Amino acid sequence: MTLTSTKRLGATYELQRGYRRMIYPAVIAVGIFAIVPLAGMFALAFSDYHLLRGTNWQFGFKNFARLLSDQRLMNSIYVMSILSFFGVATQVIIGTAVAVGLQKIVGRWRFGRILFLVPYAVPHVAVALIWLSLFTPTLSPINAFFDLFGITVPSFLTTQGGAMFAIVMADTWTNFPFAMLIILAALQGISPDLDEAAAIDGATRVKTFFFITLPLLMPALLMVTLFRFIDSLKHFPMIFVITKGGPGRSTQATNFYAYVQTFQNSNVAYGAAIAVTLFLMAALISFYVARLNQRVSQ
Amino acid sequence: MKHLLTTALVASFALAAPFAPTSAQAEEINVVMFGMPYTRGLQKLAGDFEEKTGIKANIDVIGQDVFENRITLSFTGRSGDIDVVHAPVIQVQRWVQANWLKPITAEVDAMPVKGDLMAGPLDAYRIDGEQFAVPFMAATGLMTYREDVLEAAGVGVPQTWAEMLEIAPKVTDGDQSAIALRAVPGQGFNMFIFPMIMRAYGGKFFADYTGGDLTPAINSPETLEALNVYSKLINDHAPQGAGNFNFAEVNAAAQNGQIVFAVEGTGVAAQIVDPEKNQYADVTGLALPPGGPAGRSPAIAVHGLGIPASAQNVAASAKFIEWAVSTETVTKIALSEPFANFTTQPVAENAEVIAKYAAIHPDFLQVQADALNLAIGHYRPLLPEWPSLGAAIGENINAAVNGLITPEEALENAEQEMRDILGQ
Repeated sequence: MTLTSTKRLGATYELQRGYRRMIYPAVIAVGIFAIVPLAGMFALAFSDYHLLRGTNWQFGFKNFARLLSDQRLMNSIYVMSILSFFGVATQVIIGTAVAVGLQKIVGRWRFGRILFLVPYAVPHVAVALIWLSLFTPTLSPINAFFDLFGITVPSFLTTQGGAMFAIVMADTWTNFPFAMLIILAALQGISPDLDEAAAIDGATRVKTFFFITLPLLMPALLMVTLFRFIDSLKHFPMIFVITKGGPGRSTQATNFYAYVQTFQNSNVAYGAAIAVTLFLMAALISFYVARLNQRVSQ
Repeated sequence: MKHLLTTALVASFALAAPFAPTSAQAEEINVVMFGMPYTRGLQKLAGDFEEKTGIKANIDVIGQDVFENRITLSFTGRSGDIDVVHAPVIQVQRWVQANWLKPITAEVDAMPVKGDLMAGPLDAYRIDGEQFAVPFMAATGLMTYREDVLEAAGVGVPQTWAEMLEIAPKVTDGDQSAIALRAVPGQGFNMFIFPMIMRAYGGKFFADYTGGDLTPAINSPETLEALNVYSKLINDHAPQGAGNFNFAEVNAAAQNGQIVFAVEGTGVAAQIVDPEKNQYADVTGLALPPGGPAGRSPAIAVHGLGIPASAQNVAASAKFIEWAVSTETVTKIALSEPFANFTTQPVAENAEVIAKYAAIHPDFLQVQADALNLAIGHYRPLLPEWPSLGAAIGENINAAVNGLITPEEALENAEQEMRDILGQ
């Protein structure tokens, strides 16, 4: 019976079945390393598990109800939004600018591109330590330089705006190469004929960029924005090392707050509920950006 | 089913958890500690332990920031991948309540070194009649000061925080500020320093801690006065950016000659007065931290070694602890590292150790002993909830220091949050 139906479906079916089998290891790996921990997180979020007190085996929406009236959570979402918006925007703008510049470089200087990738290879904790030194007035060479001219550089880490600026700077420095790489790859896929045609028609370079190159880069820009946005929700090492969530609690982003609840306050269930909320927010935004990307591509 | 939620927790962290091998083998143990002179010294001596006992000790020294996460994952998962753990006394109540530490009364009683350990720090690890860890160090708060600057300004060493406020403007000169203090929020950061001022002014965490009345009482006129002093010192008399200083920045400011006074733990103070580490060491003096109307209360932080409940090799772990706090091992570390705050008594009588610290600073061991005598064991309350309480108070104190809220609001918030954490 099977043999007959396989014969009837033909070689294409066989080939596709082979392809499907080839993805089984990946499905199993994702199941073990992504779905199981995620299911664990959801289970915890509905429980009353506390690191010290254990559990009374009560499950429900209590943790999610608490989220609605938690001022610290609202503040953390505000902090996360600011850090994500400015961080991602800066990274995409700088990444695009550098990619456009690097694309014009030809010959042996093209190897200079590697230099721009160096920050991306530095571990985040090391990046955070470097920027912590740069933003600490008594240690910073920037402050020392301006001191020579009698100019006092403000202390960034003692104000909310300054501390957020410091985190965005550190995050941008290490992550703009990712945006640069994607945009550079997309730029290389655009035919130079279009630039030449525009030049023959008398378009300036700026106009060519904004009216021809940029629209063609939109799918890549949306993709890189989406990836960076999802990653930006995981702001942790920068905050942990540079500000420890301070001054006060003014740089405690949502995942940092989940860490505080889980490890510092031992409220594992509540910390998991915050993490679940963050996950759902990221999933929802990703879904809309993916749809937008599809529309732009069409 | 019994451990379903624990399993879920571990599963949810599966990707982040280190895949450390379990040390089921009798001849190998894993030790996890956070970085400080003693632990780094101990790590270098791991070979000695193996030579003596035939047991290989894998000593992992990690940053204090990540230590908590690392051990929490191991303890909650009961993975048994840690045989000996660094146990700060401030965390032990919490660990014991969660059944994360093994009672080791019998093992400690059987250790000949027990009689050599200072009684106070050893008792700090005794909870409900059971011993849960063995101390290796007791750090206290100390003050360092630049003798040359004080002399030039014609002022003496401040005995109280009020005197410090009076002297501060007189010793400030251009790039040199008067003082640096830890300010970054955290129970081990600003909450290691601020209670020294709070207690000096008569402030307290609870209505009657020793009497068992744990009604939060931090929102008091005394604590408010202390917070105003702390805030004024950091904002008016400390280097720029001091509102985010931790011990590393305080240490660097002292070693760069940017401050006159530093009030710090013994580990940092030892580096500030050490001529090999600080170019101004020969003109740097050492004293007890200032006091106030309610007396002087130097900070104290006891650190020890314990055995996790999930550890497999209790006998080997106990052997390691005995070796790690032995007179021989501690003497070696005291001589090779800036480590003078040991709790193994005979080390203080070793001529070489005395000579080493006298060379660093003639008063070092004496001032430290005076600070230990003045310090109260519950300088920071010994409660399972302290890590949460300390963090909440520290964040509010830091917010007030950096002008995000008023000192009055900070204490009101802190007291309310203490009630919430304690379920009152």
